[in-house]
Amino acid sequence: MYRYDSLDKEMLTDRSNEFRHQAARRLSGEITEDQFKPLRLMNGLYLQLHAYMLRIAIPFGTLNTKQLRRLAWVAKTYDKGYGHFTTRTNLQLHWIKLRDAPDILDALAEVDLHAIQTSGNCIRNITADPYAGATADEIDDPRVWVEAMRQWSTNHPEYSYLPRKFKIAVTAAEKDRAAIRSYDVGLHLRRTRDGELSFEVMVGGGQGRTPYLAKTIREHLPAGRLLSYLDAVLRVYNRQSRRDNIHKQRIKILVATLGVEEFTRQVEAEWALIEGADIDLPDTELARIRAAFMPCAFDPQPASSPVFEAAKADPEFARFTRRNVHPHKVPGYAIVDISLKVPGETPGDASSEQMDLVADLADAYSQGEVRINYTQNLVLPHVKLADVPAIYAALKPAGLATANMDLITDIIACPGLDYCTLANARAIPVAQSIAKRFADPERAEQIGDLKINISGCINACGHHHLGAIGILGVDKKGEEYYQLSLGGSGGDDAELAKILGPAMSGPAIPDAIETLVETYIVHRKDGERFLDTVRRTGLQPFKEAVYASAD
Amino acid sequence: MPQLIKIEGERASTVDDLFTFVADEDAVPAAGDVIVTLARLSSEGDALLSSGRRVGVRLQPSDAVEDLAYDLGALAVIELAFAKFRDGRPYSSARVLRGRLNYQGELRAVGDVLREQALHMVRCGFNAFEPADGSTAEQWLAAAHRYRHVYQRAADDREPVFVERAQIASGLGHNRPDEVGV
Amino acid sequence: MKMLTANSLTTGEVVFWDHGQWSVRFADGERFEADEAADAALALAETQPKIAVAAYLIDVEDNDGHWVPIAFRERLRALGPSNTPQHGKQADGDADVEAFQASHSSARSTGRVKLIKR
Repeated sequence: MYRYDSLDKEMLTDRSNEFRHQAARRLSGEITEDQFKPLRLMNGLYLQLHAYMLRIAIPFGTLNTKQLRRLAWVAKTYDKGYGHFTTRTNLQLHWIKLRDAPDILDALAEVDLHAIQTSGNCIRNITADPYAGATADEIDDPRVWVEAMRQWSTNHPEYSYLPRKFKIAVTAAEKDRAAIRSYDVGLHLRRTRDGELSFEVMVGGGQGRTPYLAKTIREHLPAGRLLSYLDAVLRVYNRQSRRDNIHKQRIKILVATLGVEEFTRQVEAEWALIEGADIDLPDTELARIRAAFMPCAFDPQPASSPVFEAAKADPEFARFTRRNVHPHKVPGYAIVDISLKVPGETPGDASSEQMDLVADLADAYSQGEVRINYTQNLVLPHVKLADVPAIYAALKPAGLATANMDLITDIIACPGLDYCTLANARAIPVAQSIAKRFADPERAEQIGDLKINISGCINACGHHHLGAIGILGVDKKGEEYYQLSLGGSGGDDAELAKILGPAMSGPAIPDAIETLVETYIVHRKDGERFLDTVRRTGLQPFKEAVYASAD
Repeated sequence: MPQLIKIEGERASTVDDLFTFVADEDAVPAAGDVIVTLARLSSEGDALLSSGRRVGVRLQPSDAVEDLAYDLGALAVIELAFAKFRDGRPYSSARVLRGRLNYQGELRAVGDVLREQALHMVRCGFNAFEPADGSTAEQWLAAAHRYRHVYQRAADDREPVFVERAQIASGLGHNRPDEVGV
Repeated sequence: MKMLTANSLTTGEVVFWDHGQWSVRFADGERFEADEAADAALALAETQPKIAVAAYLIDVEDNDGHWVPIAFRERLRALGPSNTPQHGKQADGDADVEAFQASHSSARSTGRVKLIKR
């Protein structure tokens, strides 16, 4: 797994010292809050409802066990003993004090972790497929390219004061597990017919007030030219975007305003003038990064494991294998999802004890590696099939063995009004009430794949536009109301969800979801997921059922 | 007389600003070095540039630096105004001026210019500063050199981390023969 | 009636204006009948940027003998997150907190006097 060398480490130390200096200047009154705010945001520090919140970057969603244990320790020492994993594969700590923040950043830097550019109008922490390096359908390890972009985007002199935030995601497998079309830049790595690595570059996706799916501006970008091409995209954005209306400053608005053809023309013109050799990483550096991501050698295993098969006699374990265990590229190995979605608990939250346990299991069974999925779950990427029963047995008493990946209880939710200053309504209690309603695992599995996404405001951190059922919290005369939408997806079949009808109160939501599910079961044809049925029938039958029963 | 911080390589100094900025609504003084807007440069540029004094121009964030290409050799100084420190357009303007238009002269940051942005400004090619926060030359220099390493090539001559790594790996690196990259 | 609230600069904790200083307890907060007095307190608070951040006024109302903020969001700030009753000011569990939590009158967004921008 990739490790920072002395140069990367010195960058983190310098960054941490810089922030300590800036915080001291704020505390002494030398700089104003207005001047300090963008500086703390670029170090992941928000002021939220009850305290400061620190958003720690987990580049490419990959952690070694030393890092995970350090996160657990920071949460226990400086927070209230838990953290919240987000849809951008970051970890948020919600009870941080400004005066502790420099020490925390030092403690993180010791294990090569940081909060650099996890907020602010800059290039944010870049995300990738959570199964990178482990999945069989992969063309290349996307983290090689994410690391190249991490270096290029860190402390970028020209692009640290962009019109708005800028998010990039990469997929290097056939199946998109990183929701790349909902990003400012989505990159899909493929191999051309002559065997060269090439990116499809998509620009201008995003959620929020005006959601768009990213549009392709280049079908085939030679992979080695990625950074200079991104430089061209960023320069056009930085120079051309509006700066007079915060709601119109994302790149999606620029692309929509110029039109994708004109935007593409400008990027290509800019790229033609850019000195690529100054920006694109040399092959030697790419090779160094690539070598660092090579997993340890895999002990040869038989393709099937008698221990694993025998354990399936336990129906609960069998369900766990159906939902949470996925094929690995190496025979006899598996990818194991760890659900942070116990019905009734806060989606995406993990206690320090749970983080420590997952670190122990990763050391014992997964080459010391843990992944964060944007669905707010954890992943053990390299597990021998024969070890899955032992892992399951260890996870279960810790509340980490819920077998519900992609089911109705695997709900994505932002922190909402319980924590966030931007929110209009709470998201967590809504998720809790739905998950409790569908807590029967047998029923949830009969309903099948069904993504529910809840956001507490239009900024869409809960990706409600991408839910088969999306729920958006709105403020209706000071009361929390929720607007339902259907048919969204962030994957290969990406589409934005469509609004079902008028918003309803929080307590009405579980019944409404129940009605949607019943309607789906009545209409579904063989093998259809909820999403497929909605897309086939349209919203009408669902709308009629929900609003008829509400009358 | 107003003062400026100038950076030359590893040195910073405070110098008197000998130029007077002339707003569009004001008349150009009879003598002395002046800085004018892009609009005035377009309309009165030829006369000004042949009047035997030094002439500079101040560009706003929305002005295109490409418009200066014709006059670049004759300009004594270019000022890029930061309307707000959050408005990052002048960084791109500076990069294009230095990298693409090959401007070699004095490039000033004026407006909402704060020490926290010194590193980015220096790296984008600015070499003169009118800080709005009262920073001294020493403070400005320290802020501009807070990082031992940079990850990208920019308008300054600093080598990025990937070059340092390659030098270390090939034995040409300074100070770290024992720490070859991963 | 109005109250003045902010977050502590060093800790981020929610604080309430109490006759020239900040208190972490909602119950200790000063209530202003007159807008002029409230505005004056806000103006004074804004001269103390090293103590509290983003001060703003909120509307409060008497609810069966207990004062509560009108806006739902301000109730959450004064109590703590609803998903973790063991965290935040609500963890103290005193009479004021109980009255607060029992308060069922509907919240109105008019209680949000000035949107905080963070």
